[in-house]
Amino acid sequence: MSTPSDNAPAAHSAGAEESRPSLAALLLDPSFWADWASVVGLVGLVIVFGIAQPVFLSVANLQALLLAAAILVVLSIGQTFVVATSGIDLSMAASVMLGAVILGLVNAAGWGILLACVAAVLATSAVGFLNGVIITAGKIPDFVVTLGTLSAITGLGLILSGGEPTMVGSTFLLKLASGSFGPFGYPVWVAISAVIVAHIVLYHTRFGVHLLATGGQTESAGALGIRTNRVKIAAYTISGLCAGIAAVLLVARIGSAEPLINTSLLLNSVAAVVLGGVSLFGGRASILGPAIGALMLTALVNGLTLLSVSAFYQPLAVGAIVVLAALIMRYQK
Amino acid sequence: MRLFNCLAVSASLFAMTASGPAFAEDAAKVAAIVKGLDNPFFQTMQKGIEEQAKANGVNVTVQAAANMGDATGQADRLTAMAMQDFDCYLVNPISVSNLVQALVPVAQKKKPIVNIDSTIDASQAKAAGFAVSTYIGTDNVAAGALAGEEMLKLVPKGSKVAIIAGIVGDVGSNARIKGFKQAVEGKLEVVVMVSADWDREKALTAATDILAAHPDLTGFFAANDIMALGVERAVRTSGKDVKVIGLDGIVDALKSIAAGELSATVAQYPYVVGAMGVEACAVAAKGKELPANVPAPVLLINKDNADASLKNFPRPGGDYPDPFREMLK
Repeated sequence: MSTPSDNAPAAHSAGAEESRPSLAALLLDPSFWADWASVVGLVGLVIVFGIAQPVFLSVANLQALLLAAAILVVLSIGQTFVVATSGIDLSMAASVMLGAVILGLVNAAGWGILLACVAAVLATSAVGFLNGVIITAGKIPDFVVTLGTLSAITGLGLILSGGEPTMVGSTFLLKLASGSFGPFGYPVWVAISAVIVAHIVLYHTRFGVHLLATGGQTESAGALGIRTNRVKIAAYTISGLCAGIAAVLLVARIGSAEPLINTSLLLNSVAAVVLGGVSLFGGRASILGPAIGALMLTALVNGLTLLSVSAFYQPLAVGAIVVLAALIMRYQK
Repeated sequence: MRLFNCLAVSASLFAMTASGPAFAEDAAKVAAIVKGLDNPFFQTMQKGIEEQAKANGVNVTVQAAANMGDATGQADRLTAMAMQDFDCYLVNPISVSNLVQALVPVAQKKKPIVNIDSTIDASQAKAAGFAVSTYIGTDNVAAGALAGEEMLKLVPKGSKVAIIAGIVGDVGSNARIKGFKQAVEGKLEVVVMVSADWDREKALTAATDILAAHPDLTGFFAANDIMALGVERAVRTSGKDVKVIGLDGIVDALKSIAAGELSATVAQYPYVVGAMGVEACAVAAKGKELPANVPAPVLLINKDNADASLKNFPRPGGDYPDPFREMLK
């Protein structure tokens, strides 16, 4: 990527170049497969599982699958914004836990569920903001800072909760988790809205252009007058915001705030971003890609469970797919 | 409840020193080292140790690892306590081997070593030149078997059940499942086993998938209560009548059973494990011989006794066998 101006449209889709190549040429082009790895993977999984276990394609199972994927989709979007600036946010899963703990405590203190949700989202956004400030002001690598905050937030969550889970028996959250509008449950709509909003922010706002420019060519972007530090801080704050939304969805789903970190959420959020064709070096991103990557990882676990495949094989399958996707990425244009 | 969290570095470390009432000079001094206090299970155990020490007129000093994964930190604390002059050492190791080296000076001083909850590997201890005086802990296989027997009562013979395991390869989880499988062998069909990493949300997701794949399923056994509560939520959402049995006896599970949601759980009592450990030290201080292995009580809790158990929490809802209590009389 040379200049930021040709970043945004090019990142939009693989085939959208000056001339539309024929379908055959597309299929023979490795970069097409690289950009659409998550879609191809998802379609492949649906076909395989659909044949092996017809229940997989039942409406009830697909709805359950989407519900289970909602949290990961939201997290992947947050991670995408950070990765687009060539950073990485390792503190995400810990932020989710902190958000959940704060939600539980504020609710238990009798402040009402809406305020509790807002407090949770504010807290995680503040964590993201803090990450961004430390990274840019201290000029420390993202990896190191977020690794540090992962640990610090974990401790904070444990101190606040005393290591005890808090029951959250709110009817509002129960409705959010179990109610549905049209074909999808509310959590799925939350995830869909997040995808749409993120897509607009990334492709149809000045901020989105600045974000990709910051990730692709930080120095040139700075020379063009883009405030790269502010852009980075904003990206981390968005990541924190997504962690907060995920925390609300998680508490709604299980009906309690647990001071436990789901490390697989963090690893899967990064994996979904990689599967979605987002470059870890920044500068190229998509929103739909990681969202479908998250769906694909959830579908993988769902399908293997339906097929009664031993639990021992599931992490192996996820790992193999992620490494395979990363290998394909080498062919990206 | 042994929820490992490899990445958790708890900033909260409470090195609490319980100073009991001032007893005569000859009161036995006990050093206790437990696992991470970031887990309610071990907080309860610490409470049991301290309250029993008060009751028996024993001075106790409790130290804990920083968190559930802090194997070396736990050994360092024990090493420091081994330097000091205690009459008896109460140890709950994070792994089978992490405290072996730290216990060598204790063994050289010929002080009794009371091993509670998690075992110390006997062959490694022997290689280091000592043996623990007594072991007190929950027999996970027996606890799993209790859950299996309850499942047999709840569901028709020959019907299908599923198992939700903890972290892949976890010793406690495997032992519980082994016990459950032994109890239902040939009488029920275990159609699937999934690992949900002790995580409530993962258990919910897995149970939803399993219910879709096996519409004729009649029961779930989850290796701990947190996961059982997640499974129960999935069952309630599906609207099916599927029995769910957990294991541990945490408060939320007892409440859920009392409310008619969870079918049953097998309660173990970290409070009693800690308390019996202190009693064992008191027996040793009297110069009596300790039994090599004492099983801690496990009780099946269902709708009939959930309320009583809640009332007595963290103590058992009924009486339990305790050889040390007899020896102290």
